[in-house]
Amino acid sequence: MKVGVVTFPGTNCDQDVVKMSQAHGYKVVPLWHKDHFDVKSVDMVIVPGGFSYGDYLRCGALAARSAVMTSVKELAKTGKPVLGICNGFQILCETGMLPGVLVRNDHGRFTDKWTEIETVNSTQHFAKSDKKKLKLPVAHGEGRFFAEKSELDKIESQGQVWFRYTENINGSLNNIAGVMNKEKNVAALMPHPERAMFDWMGGSDGFKFI
Amino acid sequence: MAERTLTEKLKHYRISQNEYERISGLLGRPPQGLEWALFSALWSEHCSYKSSKVHLRKFSYRNGMTRDDSDENAGVVDIGFGEKIVFKMESHNHPSFIEPYQGAATGVGGILRDIFTMGARPIALADYLCFGDENAPRMKSLVKGVVAGISGYGNCVGVPTITGYTEYDENYNKNILVNAMAVGLIEGQMNLASSKAEGIGNLVVYVGAKTGKDGVHGAAMASESFDQDIDSKKPNIQIGDPFLEKLLIESCLEVLSKNLVVCMQDMGAAGLTSSTFEMASKGKVGMDLHLDKVPQRDSSITPEEILLSESQERMVLVCVPKNLEAIQAVFKKWDLDAAPVGTITDTKKMRLFWKGDVVTEIDPTLITDSAPRYERPFTEYQSKRKRAKVEAVSNQNQKQLLDSLKQNAFYKNKNWIYEQYDQRVGTRTVKDASQTLSVVRLNSHRDLAISVGCRPSFMRMDTRIGAIDAIMYPALQQAIKGFKPIAVTDCLNFANPERVEVMTDFVTTCDLYAQIAQKLDAPIISGNVSFYNETEGKGISPTPAVGLVGLKENDERVPDCVFTETGLDVYLVQMPGVISYAKTAEVLKKEMSFSGDLTVNYLADFVGAMTAFVAKTKPQVSRVVGQGGLALTLDKMKSAGYECSMQVDANHMFSSTSFLFEERLYDFVFAVDSKTRGPFEKELDALVKKWNLISHVLGSSRKGYS
Repeated sequence: MKVGVVTFPGTNCDQDVVKMSQAHGYKVVPLWHKDHFDVKSVDMVIVPGGFSYGDYLRCGALAARSAVMTSVKELAKTGKPVLGICNGFQILCETGMLPGVLVRNDHGRFTDKWTEIETVNSTQHFAKSDKKKLKLPVAHGEGRFFAEKSELDKIESQGQVWFRYTENINGSLNNIAGVMNKEKNVAALMPHPERAMFDWMGGSDGFKFI
Repeated sequence: MAERTLTEKLKHYRISQNEYERISGLLGRPPQGLEWALFSALWSEHCSYKSSKVHLRKFSYRNGMTRDDSDENAGVVDIGFGEKIVFKMESHNHPSFIEPYQGAATGVGGILRDIFTMGARPIALADYLCFGDENAPRMKSLVKGVVAGISGYGNCVGVPTITGYTEYDENYNKNILVNAMAVGLIEGQMNLASSKAEGIGNLVVYVGAKTGKDGVHGAAMASESFDQDIDSKKPNIQIGDPFLEKLLIESCLEVLSKNLVVCMQDMGAAGLTSSTFEMASKGKVGMDLHLDKVPQRDSSITPEEILLSESQERMVLVCVPKNLEAIQAVFKKWDLDAAPVGTITDTKKMRLFWKGDVVTEIDPTLITDSAPRYERPFTEYQSKRKRAKVEAVSNQNQKQLLDSLKQNAFYKNKNWIYEQYDQRVGTRTVKDASQTLSVVRLNSHRDLAISVGCRPSFMRMDTRIGAIDAIMYPALQQAIKGFKPIAVTDCLNFANPERVEVMTDFVTTCDLYAQIAQKLDAPIISGNVSFYNETEGKGISPTPAVGLVGLKENDERVPDCVFTETGLDVYLVQMPGVISYAKTAEVLKKEMSFSGDLTVNYLADFVGAMTAFVAKTKPQVSRVVGQGGLALTLDKMKSAGYECSMQVDANHMFSSTSFLFEERLYDFVFAVDSKTRGPFEKELDALVKKWNLISHVLGSSRKGYS
C-alpha cells in the first residue's frame, strides 16, 4: 500500500500521519502542495491537519485551490480512497469533494480534548475497527459542521454521515464529527486518529483507521 | 529637526550619564550617529544582563551530559542514544501587559527560535503565568488575551503546549508575568548548530519575514519600569505571525540538516543588531553589513530602525558562498526571503553600509562584551517573617473551607486554559497538562518529563524556602513518577535591581539555585533574567520561575495522579520540613505563618531515593501534596466518581481542619493495589526509617457519590 501524504505550508500533522502509515507498514509518498502528481503513483491519499496557508482568507480555502488538490480530485474520481483529518476535512469541504463546511466553534475558542464519537455509516476504506464508539482527541478552533437545511437533509438521507459526537463539543449540526461523499471513498473527520494509535497516547482507537 | 541636546539623547536612548562616559572612554570620543542606537539596545539590561551577570556565573556546574555552552541560544543535554535535548525559558512580561495577545504570542515565537536556531526540532512548550487579582482593572482581558496569544501561536506552529503554572495574586496587578519554555530535540543525522561566525569571505544571509518598524527600542523598553502612560509604549510591541514561523522552522531545519550553513542566529531582542554583532563577536571576526539590502516591509524605514526593529520570524545565517544558491532554493520552496546582506571580513570590525556608504564602523566586542557589570548592593538575607506555631487559618468547617477555596481563581480548575492549547500535535504526548506531570515519549522509547516551578506564595512567605521549593517541588513531582531530573532552565523575574531588598532576594535565589543544581546533579543550562517588573515604584514579589526536564530510561507506565479504580490502599507519607499557611492564607486574606525549614542536601538526596522507590514499587497512583494542603489534593484526586475514603476517627488528626489544609513541604500520597500491599509496605518502611519520615494509612479508594 502506497499512501500519499499531502503537505501545504502550515500543515503540521503530516509527520504524525506519516508515522501512522508507517506503523501499518505502508510506504509513504510525500505530496507537495505546488505539484501535481500521477494518480497511479499512490493507492490512498491523506490530507492531514494543521493551518494550511496560515488559515488566511478561510480555513482550507487557499489549499483547496492548490495544484496538489487538482490531482487529489482526479484520484478520488478513480475510486481510490481519500482521508481528511481536521484541516484536511476543512480542505475537502472547500474543494467541494465533501458536503458542508466547518466554521468557528460555537464557544469561540480553540478546543483540545478527548471526545467520544459514534459510527453512523461505515466505509470499506477507513476505520475498520468493530467498535461502534471510538475515543479520539480533537484539537480545533473551527470544527463546527454546518450545511444548509436542504443539504443537511441530503447528507443524512444519503447515508453520508460518518461519525457523530456523543456529546456535542463545538455546536456541529446534528452532532456531526465526520462525513463521506456519496461513493464513500472520500471521508473526513475533525478528531485525530493518528493521535490515538497506542495506549500510551491515552487511547488506541485510532490504530485501525487506515 | 533641531539637534537633540545630550540630556535628551540620553533619555531617548535610555543610557545613563555614567554609561555615556564609559562609551566615550571606549571609543575615545563621544558616540555618534547609529552608535547611539547600538549601545542603547545592547547595553540595555535585557540584552547585557549588566545587573545580573556577576551572579549568573554561579550557575557554572556541568556534568557528563552537559557542557559549557552558556554563550549559545539555549542549553543542551546529551541524553545518549543519539538524542540531545535543547531547552530554555524566557520572559515576555512587559509586552504582554501592554498588548496581551501579541505579547504572549511573540513570547512563544521568540523562545521557539532560540531552540530551532540550534538545529533542534521544538517538541514541547510550557508556560508560566502570573496574573493579578482576577478583579483588578483589565485583568480578565489580560488573562484571556495571554491565553489566546499562546494558543494562537503555539497551535499554529504545531508545537504542543503540555504544561504550565498559573498564579493569581495582587502583587501582579500592574505587572503580569508571561514566561514561556520551549524544549527541542536533536536526533538522527542532525548536528548541533552554532551561532559563531566563521570563515573570511563567507556570506551573511538574512532569512524569514521582512523588516518593519515594529518593536523598535523593544529591548530598552523591557529594561524599564512602567509609568502611568503604557499606551505610548504600544509602538514598541512586535506583531507575530505563527504561519511564517512554521515555514521558518521547516526551512531552517532543512538547510541545517543539509549541512549548508556555517552558523545561525535568530533575531530576538534588538533584532539585527544583537544577532549580527554577537555572531561576529563570538567568532572574533569582522562583518560588512549592507542595511539597504535587508528585505523591507516599509520603504520609509531608516537604517536605525532596520538595526533595532524587532519584527518577528527572522533569522540570520552565515554560509560559504557556493551554498547560497542551494539555501535560497530551500527558502524559496517555503516562500521565504533569503537575501545576502553582508560578508565576513578579517577586519574584526562591524562595518554598516547604507546605499554603498559606510555609516558606522565599530569593534563589535565594545557593544557585546564591554557593557558595564554592576555589582548592585545587597545584604545577607533575613527571613521576612518569624517562624511560629502554625494555627488554624479559618474556623469554617472542612466542607465550607474547601468550597470557599475552590471559588478562588487560583484554586479553580484550569482546564479551560489548557483546552485552548493543542497538547498532542507531534504524537509524542504521554501525559498532558491535566496531569501533575507532563510527559513526552522519545523515539528511543524513553520518557521525558517537563515541569515548571516556583510557587510565588512561598517566595513571599520566605525567599529561601520559596527558592528551594521552586526547584525541589517540580523535582519531587518528577521523582514520584519515577523520573530523574536532569537539567534546569530559569526565568528570574524580579523588580528593580537598584533596590537593595530586590537585589538581596535575587542573590539569595541565585546562590540557592547554584547549590541545588550541583546537589541534584541537574545543571542550570540556560536562562533569562527579567528585572524592572515594577509600576510606579511598586514591584512584583520575587518570582524566579524554573523549567525542569527529567528522564525515565524506559517507557514503563507512569503512575496516575487521580483515583481511577476502587480498592486501592491509600498512604500518606510526611517529611519533616515546613508546615505553613501560605497560598491558603493569602486567598483567605489572613496572615501567613510557618514553622520549620528546608535543607538542600537532604532534599536533593531524597529526590534520588524517591525516583528509585517509585521505579521499584510501581504504585498505581502517586502525588506530591500541593497548595491548599491534603484537603485540596485529595479533592483533585477524585476522578470519574472515585475518591479516597478516609479512615476517620473522632480524635484522629485526619479530622482536624488545620491538619487537612496546612501546606506542608513535603507530603506525598500513594495508592497501591491491595495485591501488592505487602511488598510496597516493606519498601515504604525502609524509606520511612532511612529518611525519618512518618507514614499513615489514609484509607482506600472507593466509588464516590459525586
